[in-house]
Parts: sequence; structure tokens; C-alpha cells
Amino acid sequence: MSAIAPDLDRVGSSVPATPRPDGVRDAYATELQKLLAQLSTRLLMLVAALGPFAFTAVLRIQSGTPSDALFGVWVHSSGFAVSLVILGFAGSWGFPIIAGVLAGDLFASEDRYGTWKTILTRSCTREDLFAGKLLAAGTLAVGLTLLLAASSLLAGTLFVGAHALVNLSGVLTSPGRMFALTVVSWLICLLPVLAYTSLAILFSVATRNGILGVLGPLLVALLTQLLDLVGKGVIVHFLLIGSAFTSFYGLFTAHPFCGPLLVSSLVSLAWIAVALTASWRILRRRDFLATAAGTTTRKPNWLTPIKVFGVASAVTAVLALACNLGPTGVTAYRVAATIGPEFDNVSLLQQALIGRHAPAGAKLDVQPQCNRRGAKAVGPGDWNCNLYVYLPQPKSVPFQVTSVEYDVSVEYDGCYKVQSPPAFIGGPTMVDARGQSVTNPLYIVYGCFNTL
Amino acid sequence: MLPKGEKRLVHNSLTSEAPHRFYIADMEAVRACGLVKRFDTRAAVDGVDLILATGEVRGLLGPNGAGKTTLLRMLFGLIAPDAGSARLFGRELDGLGSTALDAVGGFVEEPAFYPYLSGRANLALLARLDGATAEPRQIEDALERVDLARRAEDRVSGYSTGMRQRLGIAAALLRSPRLLLLDEPTSGLDPGGTRAVAALVRELAGQGVAVLLSSHQIGELEKVCDSYTVLREGHVVWDGTATELVAQAPASAYSLATSDDERALAIARESPGVRAGRSPRGELALAISDGGLDPFVLALGDARVVIRRLELLVSPLESMFFALTTNGAPLAELEPYELAETVLASV
Repeated sequence: MSAIAPDLDRVGSSVPATPRPDGVRDAYATELQKLLAQLSTRLLMLVAALGPFAFTAVLRIQSGTPSDALFGVWVHSSGFAVSLVILGFAGSWGFPIIAGVLAGDLFASEDRYGTWKTILTRSCTREDLFAGKLLAAGTLAVGLTLLLAASSLLAGTLFVGAHALVNLSGVLTSPGRMFALTVVSWLICLLPVLAYTSLAILFSVATRNGILGVLGPLLVALLTQLLDLVGKGVIVHFLLIGSAFTSFYGLFTAHPFCGPLLVSSLVSLAWIAVALTASWRILRRRDFLATAAGTTTRKPNWLTPIKVFGVASAVTAVLALACNLGPTGVTAYRVAATIGPEFDNVSLLQQALIGRHAPAGAKLDVQPQCNRRGAKAVGPGDWNCNLYVYLPQPKSVPFQVTSVEYDVSVEYDGCYKVQSPPAFIGGPTMVDARGQSVTNPLYIVYGCFNTL
Repeated sequence: MLPKGEKRLVHNSLTSEAPHRFYIADMEAVRACGLVKRFDTRAAVDGVDLILATGEVRGLLGPNGAGKTTLLRMLFGLIAPDAGSARLFGRELDGLGSTALDAVGGFVEEPAFYPYLSGRANLALLARLDGATAEPRQIEDALERVDLARRAEDRVSGYSTGMRQRLGIAAALLRSPRLLLLDEPTSGLDPGGTRAVAALVRELAGQGVAVLLSSHQIGELEKVCDSYTVLREGHVVWDGTATELVAQAPASAYSLATSDDERALAIARESPGVRAGRSPRGELALAISDGGLDPFVLALGDARVVIRRLELLVSPLESMFFALTTNGAPLAELEPYELAETVLASV
């Protein structure tokens, strides 16, 4: 017995398990390897690499433009417009899809394959695996975003050219500055991309269902689009992840504003923190049980889709009602104050293109009067603006004092598109002083103002 | 003083009730104390104590729903116990998966892998999770040991159940485990594979690896286990060595064919510990308690009755398992052939 006693003493003492210092690194490496081995990830990479080239090639063989998107009318004039239009589309649908495909099935697939018990019985802790998974998803989400950015810039530059582009104040901006702004815009979108990725992780962990995990971010994006249409208040809009994908437009104005950018970045960080904290709390406390099939998935429950649908409907209804909370950032004063100087700039640009150069400092006096169509006097929607143009320097610029009515479509984020009457300003293209067909800068005008 | 590696039977010191007994060798691989796990109001595991020494192969037995898999899941940290604690090599298992699982290998239920990866890629990935930069030689050795080297580059989605089972064993071996927790390791394997697994378990035990083996195939357990823990409705109903089990088993059942069955039947009726009868097909059936077989065989020889076939139908472990886990009729009251049929039907 004396020989046994020391052993009993030894094993009887509790030796706490200490985390392996490189557990996260190893979990990250394996998760990255798994994600890269999946067909869906490879397809995403292929689309991100080649999609912009296909998009630009299609644009090249047709005369139309995606004019509803900011900068869309310029896709035949500047490669940067191509990249920015792709960024706009990606913000609406592309990034939620990337986040859903990468992260929506990341945790749920372990349930589907029954592999939780395989990986949790190795030397990595739950913390390691959770951190490894979210780092891998984050890495690929960032990587795909940057790949899309690079390929869109390259496609635009190769097919259209790195030409100057009219900014959102109607000023022709040099290629160098436009390149820098475009790159910064893509980088700004990384934060909301990660927010969508975190949301996909939460869906994946909470529902243990790959389909809900993948489609979750897309449904949230759809909900965001719907709320953008119905609400007038700024509060709920800025709390949505999707609003961050338009926040960089303030950088493309003559007097850049960063308020929406800062707010949406903080909101994205908050989404990331909340989604990941909730995911971890669910995973940390989870028991990995077996079903009759030997997997760790929950039994199919017909109540689950009904519950999900019910909760989603309730959330949508509450958000739709709350959408009008807070002040609206779209007012007649702000619309008029932005459109006036922009038309001044765009008109002078048009004259310069056709070879009529105004003296330095020449300035039109554009005095807009803007009113919102419909019952409400403020808020996003359809507006009309009467622009009264005066000539403070007679004979220098061949304008006549006149009044023209323009249709203005204003979004909740303060960005707008002005459709000019063709009878007054001509068609979408015009012939410049060198006899070449160029985009008419007055045909469609894009602009943005600060709604905060 | 006990020689190194020799096991010593001691009484449970973990609970005041001390209903069960364990083996303490030179070091404990598992010390579980009062483990409880409830699902809703039902206790799947209810106050289970278990000690497993290094080099010991312990069979975990019990009918479906007895709590075997739940117990293994708790030891793997896949589910947290509602009460009690478990230590693996002296390290507290916090119920969340941790480095307490270092040097612990095995699987619960059917081993699961990533179907879109090859067998070799799956092993490399798991080796990476263990912190080892998978050396191809190690993976190759593990694959060869389970006879999967030729199919190692195939995707796991194309593997049969038996191949997945073998890959699960390879994944466990890759960790160079000191403790193996195996749940139905031979499920889906052919007889050759089953024998190979049994041989492997004995070989590992000889190297000091502790093995906790859950299986429904009792015959397979008998070949490899040093000791058994029998669960019923979440409780440990028996715990002891293989020798103790044979001594305490109600009876074993045999089928007998001799040169003179009538004479053999008469001798059996006179032999202590032997009950004999004929099956409906007219074959001799014997129910023999521990120690009754050898004198009976000698008596047959003395009477010049030639034994042409003596086949074990129900082993001591099977009859013990039946007695412990069912509420059926006492085995002693059954005709020998009924004993065989009843026990075999239940196990």
C-alpha cells in the first residue's frame, strides 16, 4: 500500500488544464484550409477575380449605363466609375453573399457533418476553435473584398482607362486623387463586411442550420433595402449594417464630410461585438449531444422555421415603425444648398468640354428651389427642383437667364440623382471640342450631402 | 509493495456508500466522481464513479440508453456534467474541451470527418489541431496500421462505414494517446478488422495505454478487457475484474454433442453446478456455473463418453450482462436451452 499512496496523492490533486499558446494559430490554419478546400469558397474567389472583368466587358459592348448607381453614368468615361459602381452593387448584395457563404455554414457544417466531436476532442479548446473559425472567415472575407477591389480597378483601368472622374460635387477630379479615394472607399467597406460576417457567424451558431446561416445576411440586406425605402428618420438607418456601404460617398464631395462614416463605422464595430459575443456565449455553453443518426445536429423541428419567420416578421415590423424615429436628414434647404453649387460646377464643366472656357473665377448664379413631391415636405424620395440661372458676367458664358425643372431622386443617406430634361441639356452623350463623343455631365448628375 | 504495473483491487474511496470497486495502478488515467447528466427530467448518467488505470482495458457495458455514450461524451468534454467531476491524468476536465484532453484519443459513436477532404487530409488537419505539424510519416504509419493507405487520397465521402471506423482509429493513434476512449470501435468492421482492432487494443494496453471500450458486441469485449463497468439506466450496477465476473456470473450455456447423449445427460444431472436438458431440436444444452465445467468434462471422460462438440453459447459475461441489465426471469429458473435463447436474444 505504501507504494500506492504517493500515486494517489499525486493524481488526487487537481492540475488545471492550461491553454496551449498556439491553439488559436493551429485552429486558424485548419479552418482556413477547410474553407479553401470548399467549392463555394473557390467559386466566390473566381467570381471576385473575374466578375468585374465580365461586367466591364459587357458594359463595353453596349451603350447603356447602370445610371441608377452613383457614378453609373460615367462607366464609359473612367475606370474608377466602374470600380465604384461595382462597390455599390457589392454593398447591396455582394458583401452579404460573401459573408453568408464564407461564415454562414462555418459552424453549422460541423453539425451537419457531425464533426464537432471530432475537432473538440483534439487539443484545441472551444475558445481556440471559435477564434480560429472567426479569424479564418474574417481573413477570407477581407481577402475576397480586396480581390474584388483589385480586379474591379484593374478591369476598369484596362477596359475604360484611368481617366479623371466627376466627383459628387460636379468637379472633375484627377486620376490620382480618384484612385486614392476609390481605394479608401473599398477599405472603408471592410468594417461592414466584417460586421456581416459576424452576423453570419451568429446565424450559423444559433440556428445550426447552414441554409439559414448563408441566407441570413442576405435577408438582412434585403430588409435593409426595404427599410431604406420606407423610413425617413436617420436613427434606424444608421443602425443598419448596410448604411455603412454608402458612408464613404461623403469623401467624394468638394467639401468632404466624415460624420456618417464615423457613425457607421462605430455601428459596424457594435454589430461585430454583439454578434460575436452572442455567438460565443451560445457555443461556450452548448452540450454536443448525439441524435439517433450519430451526428450532433438537433432533431428537425417544424417549429423552428415558424419561429424564425415569426421573429423575423416581428423585427421587420418594429424596424419599419421605428424607421421614422428621429429627425430626417433630407430637407429642402440641404437639397437646394447642395444642388446649386453642383450645377454651377457641372455647367461650367459642360461648357469647357465643348470649348467654351469661362474666365478664371467665373461663376454662374444657380438658385434652386426644391420641393418634395408627396404629403411630407422633408425626407428621402422624389423631389423636384427649379433652377434659376443668372449670368453675373454677361457675354463670358453663353447662358440665358432661365428656369428649368429637374427631377431629383434623394436617398435616405443624402445621395441623389438628378435627371435633367433632355430638351434643355441634350442627350446622355455629346460631342466635345475635339469632335469626340463624351458623356454629357449635365444629363445625369449625382451628388451627396451630409444628413447628420 | 506492488510491482510496477500490477493492479490492486481497492474499495471505492470516492463515495461514502462505496458500492463499487476500482483498480488503482501506478497512475490513474481517469478518475470520475459522481458524474450526473440530466436531460429534461431524466438522468442519463446518475452518480457514476469510474477509475481507469494506465494499461487497463475496461469494457463499458449496458443496454441502449444506459448512459454509456453520455458518459464518454462527458469524459471527452463534449457535454458538461450537471454534477460531479472528472480528471484525466489528474487534470480537471472543465466540460468545455481543453488541454486536459492532451494524450486522449478515440471517438464517440461513428467517427465523423470532412467528406470533401481525403482521408489523409483529414488526418493532417486533425494533427494540426493537436499542435503537431503533421509529419507525413506519422500519418502514413497510422493509415497503414488501419489498412487505409491505399485509399488515403480518396475523399471521405466515398468511404464505407468500416473505412470511416478505421480512419477514426487512425485519428486516435495519431495523438500517441495514453488514454483511448472508444465507442463501438468495431461497428461496421469485418471479422478481420474486428480482430485487428482487438489485437491493437491489447498491444496498446501492453504499452501502458488505458482503454475504455464501449461495445454491444460482448464477445468482442471478452477477448480484450481486463475489467468491466456495467451501466443500467445511468447507474453503475457492476464493476470489477474479468476474473470476478466469471466467478459471479450466473451461468454459461453450452451446446454439447457426444457419443452417448443419454449417458452425458445423466452425468450432467449428477454433476454439481451443471444443469442439462434437451432443446426442441433434441440437442443437449448445458447451463454451467463457474467451476462446474472441468469436473463434468472429466466425468464424461471417466464414463468413456466422447465429446464430439462442446460449443459455448452464452459466455459468463453475456449471462452476467443479462442478469444485471434486464428484469427478465431469473436465469436459474430457465431450462438451459431457454437460458441460451433468452440471453442471446437480449445481448
